[in-house]
Amino acid sequence: MVTTRRGFIARASALPLGFGAMREAHAQTPPITIALAARSPTGLNPQQTALTGGDAWAIRQIFDTLVKPEDGTFAVRPEDFRPSLAESWESSPDARTWTYRLRRGVLFHKGFGEMNSDDVAFTFARHLDRTIVTNQKALYSNLASVEAPDRYTVRFQLHRPDPLFNGSMVSTLSANILCRRAFEERGQGFNMDPIGTGPYQVDSVSPTQGVLLSAFAQHFAGVATSPVIRVAFIADTTARTLAFASGQVDMIEGVRQPGWIPTMRGRAPQTIFDATAPGSFNTLHLNLTRAPLNDLRVRQAIRLAINNEQIAAAFPGLSVAMPGIIAPQFAGSVRPQDLPEALRYAPDVRRARALLAEAGHGGGLTIPCFTSQREDYASIMLMIQEQLRAVGITLAMRIIDHATMHAENRRDRNSMTLYSSSYPPVPTQPFLQQLLSSAAVKADGTGGENYSHYGIAIPGIDALIERAQDEPDFERRIALIQDIEQQVLRDLPLLGIVTLSYVIARNPRIDLGFTVRSGYAYWPLNRARRV
Amino acid sequence: MLRMFGARLLDAVPTVLLVLTLVFIALRLLPGDPALVVLGDYATQEQLVLFRAQMGLDQPLWWQWFAFIRDMVTLDFGESMISRQPVGALIAENLPYTIELTLAATGIGLILGIPMGVLAAVHRNRWPDRGARVFSLVGYAVPDFYLGALLLIVFALNLGWFPINGGGVAFWDRMYHVALPAITLAMVKTAFIGRLTRAALLETLSRDYVRTARAKGGREPRVIARHALRNALLPITTGLGLSLLATLSGSVAIELIFNRPGIGEVLISAIAKRDYPVIQGGVVVFAFFVVAINLIIDLAYILIDPRLRVQA
Repeated sequence: MVTTRRGFIARASALPLGFGAMREAHAQTPPITIALAARSPTGLNPQQTALTGGDAWAIRQIFDTLVKPEDGTFAVRPEDFRPSLAESWESSPDARTWTYRLRRGVLFHKGFGEMNSDDVAFTFARHLDRTIVTNQKALYSNLASVEAPDRYTVRFQLHRPDPLFNGSMVSTLSANILCRRAFEERGQGFNMDPIGTGPYQVDSVSPTQGVLLSAFAQHFAGVATSPVIRVAFIADTTARTLAFASGQVDMIEGVRQPGWIPTMRGRAPQTIFDATAPGSFNTLHLNLTRAPLNDLRVRQAIRLAINNEQIAAAFPGLSVAMPGIIAPQFAGSVRPQDLPEALRYAPDVRRARALLAEAGHGGGLTIPCFTSQREDYASIMLMIQEQLRAVGITLAMRIIDHATMHAENRRDRNSMTLYSSSYPPVPTQPFLQQLLSSAAVKADGTGGENYSHYGIAIPGIDALIERAQDEPDFERRIALIQDIEQQVLRDLPLLGIVTLSYVIARNPRIDLGFTVRSGYAYWPLNRARRV
Repeated sequence: MLRMFGARLLDAVPTVLLVLTLVFIALRLLPGDPALVVLGDYATQEQLVLFRAQMGLDQPLWWQWFAFIRDMVTLDFGESMISRQPVGALIAENLPYTIELTLAATGIGLILGIPMGVLAAVHRNRWPDRGARVFSLVGYAVPDFYLGALLLIVFALNLGWFPINGGGVAFWDRMYHVALPAITLAMVKTAFIGRLTRAALLETLSRDYVRTARAKGGREPRVIARHALRNALLPITTGLGLSLLATLSGSVAIELIFNRPGIGEVLISAIAKRDYPVIQGGVVVFAFFVVAINLIIDLAYILIDPRLRVQA
């Protein structure tokens, strides 16, 4: 085609009209959109590793688990769970055999047929298979076998009793039920085009649009209120905030650093903040193999110097002080008023100084450590650094790249390690991961995440946790967990600091259909609507 | 000319090999274990070992290097450790957005920068020149991430003329989405090209052949365009090539602020997650662009300067 001067001018003058047309297209009613802090979707297969929070949001809409908590809550006790793909379940008296009766007529998306016990067994068998890398594998270490005696019955056999099996394995992200046929047919393609039974099915996945989901008309619980949901990915905080302020997106993932919510409130006072509780557990490991942290008096001084309430107050509405290792919202946690006076550790600078003097550090001491540059880690550790300065402890702290911090921690190179992790409401989990002697960190990187060497450097809680793990009765197990909490408070290898909620800023024009009180860092959007 | 082309390509081979080796070594020296990043808190030790074996991370370094070079030579970039997507597909998906942004910004920079430089040189030390110098100073001084945020707030958030973020889908949509980021990047490009043009033109304007052209009665615009500017194009072309490379690799801040897909953003994210195959694939692409743009510059020299054509 020959380009004439007139033709060129005509096309050039049409350019603004083209822009106008695009603006008009963009002005049409958009789907309900949530923007998460990630670059792009990693994948939508719940068993895939390295999933981001954004992926988890999409997965929650696409799949279902056998049981679930009430929307907007965590199920922290056995009676808190509600039916989902399973309509009933029972456990043996020793809490080692769990049997689920599946709901009949539950369909997979896009014509993949009825979900049955074979799909459930397939899903969990993948976690059992040691030759396959699957997400959250450690959560399934107590699973001995899974079988499907008939089309609508699934039976799990556990190595040890678990009265909260529904919380520890059945309702987590990686326990969402996969469609076996789709998984085997699509192979790697399943990651970006998965088939589930959830209220939404995948329409498209792209780096620019994110994940577009449309309501699944045959969902067993009824059709979702909003016909289309978009899970968008905006990594940069400024870009995400501007997208929210412009109304382009309806919900955005918040930033867990002091001052973010007040700033947002200043900009848009009507904004609703949905925060999960507890969110992440932030704990501080004191390396017992290194002086002066091997001295209990120094550890007690550190405990007395760190004011958890003050740190929590820096994150208004998002944080709660942790008296022990279990978050106050979970069963098994301890309350200061229930503890002996000596284990309450109310902040006391004078007593902390006296303990340091008694330990031979009256002139002050310096502890080298490092932490991550991620905003939550850096904010908390900087506050701890200031609080310790007040009693004469100088934290010679380096702030380093997040991946580097994890790698260096795993090589036992840190003296004071801030650890942030979200847990299911299973009270044994934080102890198994952070305090068991078999999880002790090793210099060659082959150890676990017990960065204090508790149970190795000094006697730990191994025997107590064994007893708790063998206890089939939930109430008795909780009592044992509280004993463990007290033991840890006596030895102070690990200090509970604060919980930090995951927060979503929501435009008031969106009604979720329930109130977010607690739960994982994602929730269902099938009842969400514009108001 | 073909021989020159071939020689340049051959020259590029050791350069690319060296770059690849340096990247390989740098990645392995960087603290951080991809297995820990990928598998997260709930990984068992057994899973970590299995993952490292699957990714070949448990092999001796020399073996990993050979495998890496072999794969690169056969253009097999492997798959991302994080998403398990083929790296080639990931690059193919994101690279067009970076190229589109680079070309748009450079285009705007050329359209505005060359006339600005010409005006400044022709009116040396008068108000157009002073104005151009002030603009250049501002263009250099204001960081692009700050300017980007400012333009976003004014033109996208408050006035609603442009989209807040994204890369667009169809042609017009993509043009609509690239406009504001391109304008942001074009600010510094205009300043750079304007200064370059001014300096080069000032030099050629004082040459004898320009004086001769004027003495022969040539009209001033023609003298400037045909005699002065054409001879000033060599340094401008060199500068333009460098500027193109800088934008290709350095537009990541703009990609982040405007939430555009792009290769820079993919690479930064891969570095944070120690996703070795993606980093390596991305660096190969950049190395390719360095070689390609240098070749294009050489060809442009020949087109601009007939003397080089004879030598070639």
